[in-house]
Amino acid sequence: MALNIDVIKAGLETSVQDFPGRYGFWEQGFPPSGPFDMWSFRLANILVGNAPEAAGLECQFMGPTLKFSDDCVIAFTGAEMNATLDGETFPMWESVAVAAGQTLACGFASVGARAYLAVSGGIEVPQVLGARATFHMAGVGGLEGHALKDGQSIAVNGGAGVPGRKVKQDCRPKIANGKQWQIEVVQGPNDDWIAEEGIERFLESEWKLQARSNRTGYRLEGPEWIFADKASNKGPEHGEHPSNILDHGYPVGSINLCGQTPIILVNDAPSAGGFINPFTVPSAAFWKLAQSKPNDIYRFNRVSVEEAQEMRRGIDGLCVEDSIE
Amino acid sequence: MIYDEPKFLPGGDRFIEMELGDELNFDLNFLVHSLSAKIREAEIAGLIELLPNMASIVISYDPDLISFADLKSEILSHYRNMGSLEDMELLSPIYYIPVLYCDHVTRACWEDYCAKITEKEYDSDILVQLNDLDGYAQLARIHSGTEYWVAALGFYPGLASLIALDPRCRLTAPKYNPPRTWTAKGTIGYGGSVTCVYPANTPGGYQMIGHTPVPVCDIEQSLPAFKQDLALLRPGDRVRFFPVGREEYDYIESRVTAGDYVHNVAHYAKFSIRAYHEWLGTLDMKERF
Repeated sequence: MALNIDVIKAGLETSVQDFPGRYGFWEQGFPPSGPFDMWSFRLANILVGNAPEAAGLECQFMGPTLKFSDDCVIAFTGAEMNATLDGETFPMWESVAVAAGQTLACGFASVGARAYLAVSGGIEVPQVLGARATFHMAGVGGLEGHALKDGQSIAVNGGAGVPGRKVKQDCRPKIANGKQWQIEVVQGPNDDWIAEEGIERFLESEWKLQARSNRTGYRLEGPEWIFADKASNKGPEHGEHPSNILDHGYPVGSINLCGQTPIILVNDAPSAGGFINPFTVPSAAFWKLAQSKPNDIYRFNRVSVEEAQEMRRGIDGLCVEDSIE
Repeated sequence: MIYDEPKFLPGGDRFIEMELGDELNFDLNFLVHSLSAKIREAEIAGLIELLPNMASIVISYDPDLISFADLKSEILSHYRNMGSLEDMELLSPIYYIPVLYCDHVTRACWEDYCAKITEKEYDSDILVQLNDLDGYAQLARIHSGTEYWVAALGFYPGLASLIALDPRCRLTAPKYNPPRTWTAKGTIGYGGSVTCVYPANTPGGYQMIGHTPVPVCDIEQSLPAFKQDLALLRPGDRVRFFPVGREEYDYIESRVTAGDYVHNVAHYAKFSIRAYHEWLGTLDMKERF
C-alpha cells in the first residue's frame, strides 16, 4: 500500500530536497539547491535506512504538521523544533516508528534554524533535471516546484526502516543557541580587488546576519570595505562601482560583494553576475549557516583550500552507518 | 587583454575560477567556450561542472577525486594544446526566434511602469534616438540583421547574454533606473550592448523592444525542444531574430499554447573564428541596414 503524508500545516518554508541536489545544469542557470545543512540531512536518511541521498524534507524556522496514512519509520535531525507525535514528545536524532493515522506536529525552532525529516523509503516526487530538490524561485523540482502548502499530499516510496536507532552524540553537528558563530572562509577568488587592510578588517570584524536572508543568499551587516586600486582602475566593461567586475560565474558559498553589502551565496544562488567574490565559505561550514538565525553574529576564520577539503572529509566520514548506535 | 598565463583562483573547497583575461572581447569569449568544450571532451575524473562566462570559467570539482593542483595542471595542458585561436572551430547551432517589434505586451509593461513607478520615455524611442536610427522599422531591421553569440548564461535560469556578431548591428541602450518589478516572459531586452530574451516573468532593467511567443525556458517541459533541457540555449550557441507581424505572432503563440510548436534550429552550424575574422575584414562599418 502506498504511503502518503498529508500536509496539515506547511510550516514557514518546508521543502523537498535531495542530496547533493541538482548537478549538470548550472551553466544554464540552475543552482544545485539541495539540503542547506547536508550533515543533518544525510544522518536523518541513514537513521531510517535510506541512502544518504534520498529525498526528505527541509523545515525552516517553523516546521510542518504532517499526518501519515500508513505505518512507517521516520527520523528528525538538525534544529530542535519541539516536535510531538500525537501530543507526545518526539525524540530528535533517532528513528521512530509511526503508525497509520498519527500526526507529527512541529513548533518554532528553539535551537538552530533548519530541521530535516527523513521517511523510510524516501519521498517520491518526479525528478526534474535529474534531481528531486526544490528550487522555489523558478518553480523547479520538489512538490509542484515550490515549498509545501497546506492540504497537499506527499507520496513516499515503500521502504522498511528500523526504529530505535540513534546518532551517536559526537557524530552530530554541534548546533547551539550561542548566537556567535566561527565560520571558516577560504580567501579568493577575487581577494585582489580588496586592499590588504580590507582583508584584515573583514577577518577581524563581527558580521551580523540580516533578516533578508534565505536559501539564495545570506546578507551580512558590518564595517565598510576597503578596495584595492585595481577595483577603481579598470575597463568600463567591469562596471562603475569598485565591487563591479565583468560578468563571471559565482562559486556556491562565495561571499558576493554588492556595493558595500556582502551576501554569502548559498544553495539556490544565481550562477553568475557582475560583482566580486573576495572570500568563499567552504562546504564544511554550510551547516553553521543553515542553523543560524537573523541577528546572529559571524566571525570568519581563514583556512586554506586543503584545510577546507580536510574538514569536508571529516564531515563526510561522519555521514555513515558507523555513526549510528 | 587575454592573459599570457591564465589565473587559477580558489573558490572554497570545491571551485576554481579560471580567469583567461579581463575584458569584454569576442575572441576571448570564444576562447573561453572552446576551452570549455575541450575540457568537457576530456572527461577529467573529479571535474563536476563548468560555468563559462565572458572571460572566465568557474570549475566545480570533487576534492576527494582530484586536487586543486592536479586539476589546474590538467586544464592548463588542455589550454596549451589548443593551438592558435584562428584555427578554432566550434559546433554552434543557430536558433531562429520570431519577434513582434514594438508589440502590445511590452508596451503594456512600459505603461504600467510609467503609471506605478516613474514616467519614462518609450523604450524603442530611446534606442532610436541614442543610436541615431530613422525609426522603429530600422530598429527592427538592425536588431534582426545579425546573428547573436550566446556569450554566457546565468543570473536567472535560461537567461542568455547575447552579443551581436555583426558590428554594424551593435546598438547601445541604458538600463531602467529604478529597475522594473516585472517583465513579461518572452520580452526582448536590450541593455548596454547586450540583448536577451526574458525566460520567465522576472524583474528586469533592460529596455524592451519586442516580444516573442517562443519560450527559451520551459519548466513544464511541454514543448519538444525541452524534453532534455529546461533551457533552450547554451553558451557558444547562436540566435537569429526574425521580425513577424501580429498575425504570424498569434499563429505561433497558438502553436506554443497547443504544445506542438517546433523550435527552428540549425543544429549543423559550425563557427570558424578564421572565417569570422576574414568576413569582419571585408565590412564597411559605415553601412547601415
